[in-house]
Amino acid sequence: MIPEWMKKTEDYVPPADGGAFYYRTLKSLGGIMSRLRLESGREGRFSLPAGVRLLLMIALIILVSVTQNNLVIMAVGAAVLVRLAMMSAEDISAVVKAVLVAVIMAVVIFAPAVIMDPARLWNSLRVVAKILISVTLVGIFNRTTQWNHLTAVLRKAHIPGTVIFIIDITFRYIVLLGNLMQDLLTAVSLRSIGRNDKKYNSVGGVMGVTFLRGTEMNKEMYEAMQCRGFTDDYEGL
Amino acid sequence: MHIPENYLSPATCAVMTAAMVPVWVHSVKKVKEELPKDKIAMVGVGAAFSFLGMMFNVPLVGGTTGHAVGGTLIALLFGPEAACLGVSIALLLQALIFGDGGILSFGANCFNMAFVLPFVGYGIYRLIAGNNKEASSGRIYAGAAIGSYIGICIAALCCAIEFGIQPALFHDAAGNALYCPYGLSIAIPAMMIPHMAVAGVVEALFTVAIYAFVRKTSPDLTYDAIRLENPASGSKKGHAPIFALAAVLIAATPLGLLATGTAWGEWGADEIAEISETGAPLGYTPQGMVDGFAMEAPMPDYTLGEMNEVAAYILSAVIGTALLVIIFKLLSQALRGKTA
Repeated sequence: MIPEWMKKTEDYVPPADGGAFYYRTLKSLGGIMSRLRLESGREGRFSLPAGVRLLLMIALIILVSVTQNNLVIMAVGAAVLVRLAMMSAEDISAVVKAVLVAVIMAVVIFAPAVIMDPARLWNSLRVVAKILISVTLVGIFNRTTQWNHLTAVLRKAHIPGTVIFIIDITFRYIVLLGNLMQDLLTAVSLRSIGRNDKKYNSVGGVMGVTFLRGTEMNKEMYEAMQCRGFTDDYEGL
Repeated sequence: MHIPENYLSPATCAVMTAAMVPVWVHSVKKVKEELPKDKIAMVGVGAAFSFLGMMFNVPLVGGTTGHAVGGTLIALLFGPEAACLGVSIALLLQALIFGDGGILSFGANCFNMAFVLPFVGYGIYRLIAGNNKEASSGRIYAGAAIGSYIGICIAALCCAIEFGIQPALFHDAAGNALYCPYGLSIAIPAMMIPHMAVAGVVEALFTVAIYAFVRKTSPDLTYDAIRLENPASGSKKGHAPIFALAAVLIAATPLGLLATGTAWGEWGADEIAEISETGAPLGYTPQGMVDGFAMEAPMPDYTLGEMNEVAAYILSAVIGTALLVIIFKLLSQALRGKTA
């Protein structure tokens, strides 16, 4: 015999106020983590050294930014698009997404200026084209460069060892602490059903625990380094 | 508040980066002196924390969310100099990996978010919370809230000024802006209203919520605790030079930017007649400059030579082909995704 209450269709709708910020934060974190972990950049067998590509990218960005010559902008744009067209569809769509966001933002920002004074149209279009080229350049660089190669470049450029060590550590901690934040946020969202009036407490809690865990991990790492013979010489690392 | 590429002129970017160099040097020195060797990697933790903090969506009224920069919070936890380095590294990674903020405008972004924000926020916190261990929790949290609110507003103001001076300094002969098209009268309200109304509130909530948690659970880890434990390293005197530097830089930066507008020896051929060397304007344009070799060929009123037309034609063909290949690849990927 089935009791009456079991036959009823469940029509519980959780209140709208369920903590959307957990999901948004999880979403943005997830995006970042996947980019850092999985898509660290694929270097072809014959690609130029990372340092050369970094310099080339910065040189082209400066050139595009400084020049008022439409032909130069067009030439760099053509070169950048050809390079982009040679990449795989996956990489292209990732770069194009970033570029679209930047270009749409630029159009929104420049539109009122053009409406106020239509004579500005060509100038504004030129700036938008420059933005498009610069963002594409950075996107291509990301997709084709491995991160450890970039720190090697910094070392060649005689950046102090301490700074390189800190940059390296930052990378690792973004992944480690990011994972921790994802776990914490998942735990909080699983435990808070319905209305949660203590949202700000959980903001402090999640980021606070992340900070505490970070300091703890830092201490453990230093001890592990010492166990392996580290003598406080960051320059020689 | 991340300024993308090409909204600021390269000259402005160069000035802002130059302004950051002494700040970075000071911060590295101070961090090396102040932090024990085993805490050097804490700057990396601070950078990662700042990076992740900018990802954190803080709940606002009516289900909306916003994200904080967290500059003042990092300064409260790690000290202002470590915060400056940490936020700078976070901004560098954002510019290089995620295209958030430009590469040329990196110096300007660091000036606003890694220098002005943590130092102003921390300075105001110090003023309100005082310099002793017995400060009441109320004063400390008020200091953190007001410090972070004012910090982000001042940083936004610096950002607005950088945008706002662009059209006055960098425009073509017809007066059209070459970079950001809005003057100070538009840039300042456009930046300040949202920051004072929303972003500042988010920043203050974020800072107080996390600082309160850390103070309650392990008060010995805050910068205040480290500073008071080791008075020689973090004395008030130690911060005086950087605040003086901040004041000088903030005052001098607009001047430097104004000066770059008419760099000596970089006048255009049409400007040279107005240059006064002996008090009276020159009054003429040297003939060599009128007839001389012009590096920048296709000006608006300059007829494109035959070569340039050919080059432009070839380039358009290249751009068109590349675009077609890109669109084709994207389409085929989308189709493959559907059938799979």
